[in-house]
Amino acid sequence: MTIELTVNGETRTVTAAPLTPLAEVLREELYLTGTKQACGEGFCGSCTVLLDDAAAPSCLTPVGMAAGKAVRTIESLAPGMSELSPLQQAMKDADAVQCGMCFPGILMGLTALLARQPEPTEDDVRTALSGHLCRCTGYARIVDAALSVCVPAERGV
Amino acid sequence: MVAVAEAELYLPSSLQDALRVLADGGGAAVPLAGATWAMRAVLRGEELAARYVALSGLDELRTVEVAADGSLAIGACVTHARLGEAVADQPNLRGLHDAATKAANAAVREAATVGGNLSVAAFPAADLVPALLCLDAEVELARPDGNERVSLERFLQLRSELAPGTVLARVHVPAGRLRTAHARLPLRVAGDYPVAIVSVALDVAADGTVARAAVAVGSVEAVARRWPELEAELVGKPVGAEAAAVAAKALSATFHGREGIEAPGWYRVSVLPTLVRRALTALSGQEGNQ
Ligand SMILES: Cc1cc2nc3c(=O)[nH]c(=O)nc-3n(C[C@H](O)[C@H](O)[C@H](O)COP(=O)(O)OP(=O)(O)OC[C@H]3O[C@@H](n4cnc5c(N)ncnc54)[C@H](O)[C@@H]3O)c2cc1C
Repeated sequence: MTIELTVNGETRTVTAAPLTPLAEVLREELYLTGTKQACGEGFCGSCTVLLDDAAAPSCLTPVGMAAGKAVRTIESLAPGMSELSPLQQAMKDADAVQCGMCFPGILMGLTALLARQPEPTEDDVRTALSGHLCRCTGYARIVDAALSVCVPAERGV
Repeated sequence: MVAVAEAELYLPSSLQDALRVLADGGGAAVPLAGATWAMRAVLRGEELAARYVALSGLDELRTVEVAADGSLAIGACVTHARLGEAVADQPNLRGLHDAATKAANAAVREAATVGGNLSVAAFPAADLVPALLCLDAEVELARPDGNERVSLERFLQLRSELAPGTVLARVHVPAGRLRTAHARLPLRVAGDYPVAIVSVALDVAADGTVARAAVAVGSVEAVARRWPELEAELVGKPVGAEAAAVAAKALSATFHGREGIEAPGWYRVSVLPTLVRRALTALSGQEGNQ
């Protein structure tokens, strides 16, 4: 079946069965391998993308239901790899990234949070992170880095 | 056996269209809402359906209507995230709000729907079920030849044997100046299913005593249910978390905890008094109808 998707602002036509997980299509058909597939059941957060600006578990999203919605993957945060998004830069500056498996999902989850709530509390950030499992490290630097980009005036960024 | 590559997805133009395709499909066509349960069928070792009829794009199922008297009509395809927003300002629905906003994780809450959460007979840990049971919610079933309203309790019995072409269309929550709370115990906060859930709704009289109590327990047994013995114990007394926990302990033997990989049955039952205490503590500060 041919399905038309809007991925990172571009119209892409893919050939896939409609119940194929969106994550698989992004990776195997469109070679957008920044989106990771780990648990495959919505628990770990590594496949999180944006669907119409909301965080979505792309392992549980049938590609046929993503048609007509705007899909954004981690690759869209720093188009052309020239400049990192403020959130990415903050993570880099805080040295918050370790192996990188959970990170694309974390960045997309936090991007969704900040778009909806530009000034989240620490609790809001932790709640948004609760569906993202990082097995390398704790979450403290990630939370601090996320908060550092939220209220630029107050936090001096 | 249907493989992922063979399963079809039908995008209906209206609820009527969906009902017709589901009825024509016999058992081979099934509804699909947020897909967060259905997409894990293969992992659970279950058969896929030949055809899925996607309901989640139907605007008529995606609204939360609040009537002048405060009663609610929640469309079946309202997501947990939207439900949480819709009831955030309703002081009498704190329990439903917490059930919608604490279940699963942020991304799943954007996809998983009310109808999907209530419809899965094989899922004992659904948060919205006890939250809505203690609000005396009713479920509106749509069929090609008309709609029918049944109590949520009745729906829980019917749901695994619905005739093809039957869809949960809306959930109706009656108005009530209640104090409500939802206490759940996941072993980790990171999206684990709760091992036990206690939802409470109290109607508190002007003198501070409980006029009517509804307590529902989820995840302990295979299907969530009300706890009538504890409800009777709460009525006529002041709202008291400690006393309620003591009563819950004495009455816990009415539950037979289900075994599961995340917790044994006895553990689920043994945490009930603590969850009752937490729920009652949460709602003792509420204004309600006093
Ligand atoms: C990581 C993770 C964590 C979770 N944690 C929790 C949690 O803590 N608490 C909790 O309550 N849930 C939790 N869940 C479960 C989640 O809430 C369910 O997967 C979800 O409620 C199912 O809703 P859905 O809209 O995605 O249903 P779908 O997967 O679309 O459908 C599920 C079933 O219901 C049927 N169905 C759906 N809608 C209708 C309808 N309107 N009428 C008739 N039949 C219908 C479908 O045919 C299908 O059989 C979690 C899920 C995940 C992935």
